[in-house]
Amino acid sequence: MAELQGLGAALSEAEKTGVEIVAVSPDPNARSHEMAQRLRLGYRFVADSDLTVTRRYGLVHTRGGAHGEDVPTPTTVVLDRDGVVRWLWISSNFQLRPNPDEVLRAVRAL
Amino acid sequence: MRSGSLAVLSVLICATTIAAYALLLRVPTVRNHPEGYVAAFALAATLAGLAVALARRWYAWTALGLSLALLLAGATFNFVLARIPEAHTTLRVGEQAPDFNLPDAGGQAVSLAEHRGKKPVVLVFYRGYW
Repeated sequence: MAELQGLGAALSEAEKTGVEIVAVSPDPNARSHEMAQRLRLGYRFVADSDLTVTRRYGLVHTRGGAHGEDVPTPTTVVLDRDGVVRWLWISSNFQLRPNPDEVLRAVRAL
Repeated sequence: MRSGSLAVLSVLICATTIAAYALLLRVPTVRNHPEGYVAAFALAATLAGLAVALARRWYAWTALGLSLALLLAGATFNFVLARIPEAHTTLRVGEQAPDFNLPDAGGQAVSLAEHRGKKPVVLVFYRGYW
């Protein structure tokens, strides 16, 4: 959760209204929602329960989960107002997260 | 330096590394350099090895055993278990991201299309609750 918290904290209140952060995971919505409340993040959590979207994006880490299940490859994408990819970070090691400052720089550069 | 001091230093490096990593995980520079803890355990193991070379005493062997175990566990975790194979993503900088329609926490549908022309979107794929 550290990456979500980091990015949420780095955004100012004004920026939270000017940019939409959409967090995609196979996680059931109730738990994500609960977490968002607890961390007070300006996020929209969406559930990709069967990884259909993750697969369409080519971001499935096959059998990468703790119980051998498929999980998403941790990825952060900045899209401009036209939905065009402007910045992309894909993890090569699940300990790594994008630096929130770098993500913000990409958002501010739009 | 004497064997005892080297052994103590080795154990201290191990303990400090674990504590620092746990406490500073939120700091991007720390989090994104996991090879740092592997290097610290390697240093601790080297010092403990020197301690054993100077005097084959129980404390030197203990420090060596501890630091080698941490080095092995840390290196295996960082270089093998935590590694993610390269994703064959369809995303390209400068190209349109594929649209989707997924339910949010309130059961409301969220799509990329609804933000088009309005707001930039930061899309975060994460592994779930852990």
